[in-house]
Amino acid sequence: MPAIVGGSAETAVRVGQLTRVYGTGPQAVTALAGIDVEFHCGTFTAVMGPSGSGKSTLLQTAAGLDRPTSGQVWIGDQELSRLSETKLTKLRRSRIGFVFQAFNLIGALTVEENIHLPLRLSGARPDPDWLGQVIDRVGLTDRLHHRPAELSGGQQQRVAIARALAMRPEVIFCDEPTGALDTQTAAEVLALLRSVVDQTRQTVIMVTHDPVAASYADRVMVLADGRIVQDMPQPGAERIAEHLALLGRRQLVAQGS
Amino acid sequence: MLGLALRMLRHRIGSAIATLVALACGVMILMSVGLLVESGLRYKPAPQRYAAADIVVANHAITITGKEFDGTTTTTTVPLPEGGTVPADLAAQLRQVPGITIVAVDRSIRAVVPIAATPHTLAHGWSSAALTPYRIVDGRQPNADGEVAVDRRLAEATEDEVRPGYRIPVLVGGAYRTYTVSGVVERAVDGDWPAALFFTDHHAAALNPRPGRADAIGIVLASDADTSAVLAEVRRLSAEAGAKVYTGADRATSAQSEALAARDLLIQVGAAFGGYVVALVVFVVAGTVGLAVRHRRRDLALLRAVAATPGQVRWLLLAEVVQVSLVAVVVGIPAGLFVTGWVHRQLIARGFVPDGFPLSGGVLSAVAVTAVTLLVAVTAALIAAARTVRIRPTEALGEVAVEPPRSSRTRLVIGLVTLGAGVSLTMVTTAARGPAALGAALGMLYVFVLAAALLAPWINRYAARALGPVLRAVWGDSGYLAAANLRANAQGMVTVLTALVLSVGFGGSVWFLQDNLQRQTVEQTRDGLLAQHALLSPAGLPESAVADARAVPGVVAATGIRRTSVITRVMGEPQDVGAQAVDPDSADRTLDLKVTEGRLADLRGATVALSTLQASSQGVKLGDQVAMWLGDGTPVTLRVVALYERGLGFGDVTLNRETVDGHTATNLDDQVLIRTEDGGAALTDLVDRHPGSALIDTAAMNGELAKDLALSAWLNKLLIGVMVGYAALAAANTMVMAALARGRELALLRLVGVTRRQVKRMVHAEQVGLLGTSLLVGGAIAAITLVSVVRTLTGQPVPYVPTAGWISIIGGTALLALATTVLPIGALLRTPPVDGIGVKE
Ligand SMILES: Nc1ncnc2c1ncn2[C@@H]1O[C@H](COP(=O)(O)OP(=O)(O)O)[C@@H](O)[C@H]1O
Ligand SMILES: [Mg+2]
Repeated sequence: MPAIVGGSAETAVRVGQLTRVYGTGPQAVTALAGIDVEFHCGTFTAVMGPSGSGKSTLLQTAAGLDRPTSGQVWIGDQELSRLSETKLTKLRRSRIGFVFQAFNLIGALTVEENIHLPLRLSGARPDPDWLGQVIDRVGLTDRLHHRPAELSGGQQQRVAIARALAMRPEVIFCDEPTGALDTQTAAEVLALLRSVVDQTRQTVIMVTHDPVAASYADRVMVLADGRIVQDMPQPGAERIAEHLALLGRRQLVAQGS
Repeated sequence: MLGLALRMLRHRIGSAIATLVALACGVMILMSVGLLVESGLRYKPAPQRYAAADIVVANHAITITGKEFDGTTTTTTVPLPEGGTVPADLAAQLRQVPGITIVAVDRSIRAVVPIAATPHTLAHGWSSAALTPYRIVDGRQPNADGEVAVDRRLAEATEDEVRPGYRIPVLVGGAYRTYTVSGVVERAVDGDWPAALFFTDHHAAALNPRPGRADAIGIVLASDADTSAVLAEVRRLSAEAGAKVYTGADRATSAQSEALAARDLLIQVGAAFGGYVVALVVFVVAGTVGLAVRHRRRDLALLRAVAATPGQVRWLLLAEVVQVSLVAVVVGIPAGLFVTGWVHRQLIARGFVPDGFPLSGGVLSAVAVTAVTLLVAVTAALIAAARTVRIRPTEALGEVAVEPPRSSRTRLVIGLVTLGAGVSLTMVTTAARGPAALGAALGMLYVFVLAAALLAPWINRYAARALGPVLRAVWGDSGYLAAANLRANAQGMVTVLTALVLSVGFGGSVWFLQDNLQRQTVEQTRDGLLAQHALLSPAGLPESAVADARAVPGVVAATGIRRTSVITRVMGEPQDVGAQAVDPDSADRTLDLKVTEGRLADLRGATVALSTLQASSQGVKLGDQVAMWLGDGTPVTLRVVALYERGLGFGDVTLNRETVDGHTATNLDDQVLIRTEDGGAALTDLVDRHPGSALIDTAAMNGELAKDLALSAWLNKLLIGVMVGYAALAAANTMVMAALARGRELALLRLVGVTRRQVKRMVHAEQVGLLGTSLLVGGAIAAITLVSVVRTLTGQPVPYVPTAGWISIIGGTALLALATTVLPIGALLRTPPVDGIGVKE
């Protein structure tokens, strides 16, 4: 696995001076405290960090699901802050895909309909070849007419990934996509994400707690208290675990003092 | 988008059905109201009796001009309860108008032909036969006072068919006379008016209870007449004589006023009630649609995250709601037609509308109802959608889709202002008397219910907090959980609270008000009748009947009573008020009206006695002069000589019989009240002397009265029942939807170790908390309203609430809780908890 930071000169996603504060007054929580980062096309980044460090918030603001308190987000060369909700949605559905930890699917629709949903909503004509390929790759060919409730957790996540891929987005954001999965199923899902980067040069940004999951990435970024505390080429699962452990200890010491 | 909407609907079939039920019932009620109103509007009385007349000069209604508080003049037209008259000599003037061939004076005189199967007829002068027209089929017209021409319908209704030359008895003017049949006549138009008798014009004028007056003057134009010129001249002459001119479809007789009154009743009830129903349907549908959306926040957030623009989500919701509405229309309109058929039959059976009053139209109502329903549903969906646009796509990511608390400050402020208005209305109601107080009390009812609806989120939250310790004390840990749930669901249960407050508030006040009025009326009549016997006759009793009764040995007093109505002005608005005319000499020995001021014996000359309620609403005191109109529209000014309390039982106005002499339709007494010595008296003789009459025990009159009242209360109870039922349905709907949406939560509770029994106890505690609060708030509103209205109308400080009333309110609420929450939760609890939990939503 090549551990190159920035496999391409083109920037897929960039955030500048990004802050996000929840609430106001004394109860205000600063989830992101000024983040600057770039994600290049065709790379796979793992975002890690302790619980509450702002990983999900970073992902959501970068993906245009949530508006930052201040700062900018670019998807390609499009800045998001001035887009209306409708324009933002249109941009999201054509250029961005998501996979959440759970509850990714609409229970009323079958697997196939869930995968087709973004196409249907955007009114784009489905490309049967591409869809066939995607479905094939996620291995759900014989499950197309099932309801999400009839699938296992891993299968549901694969449907979510297939849906994210259906529109051929430039960037796919995943928030703990393997959090609810067993090791074997997690490996399948991660391999799928890896192949997306390698075969079609899409960009994947994934939040995870699991050093093994992070080891599928090209780059590992660690957040703490809404700041980037580490940003490195993927050094292998063991080193990642060490880094995290160290970080955890430092935090404990900081809290203790 | 339609397909997607349909799929999502089918998936959440429970909430789709709940919305459908709410909408379909709304459509059904609206359709029913709409059809009744449309029938009323479409009802065109055929000119029937005056079909052959081109112009009818009569006085069916009186137009009264009043001054509003702000100085503007208003005119109100009220139908004359006794039927108006026109001067008979106007006919002579009209005959001078060129272009007129026939001018016929019509006097309708009630007459009874006892040998006929349907003995009640109307007698007229022969010249008015041309106005229908009636044609002679056998014999000839009446030429002498002792002769009569009879309607073929009447002749055929006698045992051996009456033919010219027969002698028949006729009860007219309170006495029997025998007439020779001169001929049999047949009318040229169909209709459901009573059979006719024709005397000579001279004899009819002599029998006329209102000498010198005519019920109507019919005019037939010459074929070459200049219609508009004739009409203008007739109008001028009539206006000078104080009469009105009717043409075309308005050429109805005042006897047809029953059907016209039914038409007005339908239109009025529909207009008044329809407004409330629409408001209620808006509320229920908005609540149900809103809740259905609330339960699907996560799905909608996911759609937003995946790729749906806010506009698309709005379209999706609209498409769903429109689909459900269309199904509701398809189900509801036939149901509405069916229900209207039933209501129509009931209205006829109970005498609210005459037999044969048609239900007509329906297409217009159906179109209007469909439009209203779609409008209401779409508006509700748009309101709900406006809220969902605020759903952030990130909500899809959360573990549970919690709704952020929406405590809109504006709503709180408006709610508090409304509550303040309600409280100040309470003071107005307490201070005011009469209809002003009644209006204020009903206004207060609406204002309080509105305030409760606006403040519902805060009421729920406050109640949950306040009830916490109670629930914990009674139900232990389950009670603790219940209190927490009540707090968390305060917003979701707003519809339930509002619907139940509305049901209990409206039902408890308006429904029980009827019971109170009925009871008071019966009580007042029973206590106020000192006479033990009453001689009654539907054909009327002549003055001699009273004298006859007094002459019977053992009779202490006898009073002739004439029931009529007068028109009084209450707060500027003319109103038809029930009145009785009595003979003041004996009245205080046969009647105890519970006189508080003055004396009934002073009821001589131009005087009147008023109920305290009527006096206060007109703002008059003992000794004041009051202006009013008698039943035929004659204005009178009378001095108040007595005030009495038993207005409900005997009418709010008591007049001297001389005052109404010549101003009622029959000019006869309706009953003679007879008080006898303890030993009784030989009264049966009286009945023989006054054919057509019956002697009854006054105690038995009460039973009849109660039956009559129950009949008139029926319509009010039906209307209020529909509103309460629909509001309760809304509550039930919300509760079922809420209960079924709790699968996950209950599974979670059970997985962390709460036993099934504890869950059940928790649900019971929640229901007691929620429904208890609703009953308390609704009951308080009902009590305040009922107390003020009952105090105003009957003077009773404590209203009467039948035991069955208590039982049905509390039992109904308990049943609601059982059917809508306890049973569905029980079903949920039968599934293993692992099935209810996990990522498989
Ligand atoms: N909707 C919210 N409202 C208030 N605070 C929030 C919200 N979402 C996240 N936070 C706070 O922001 C911080 C970062 O949260 P998050 O981005 O979810 O962290 P992570 O995903 O790294 O666990 C946390 O302290 C969290 O409590
Ligand atoms: Mg997170």
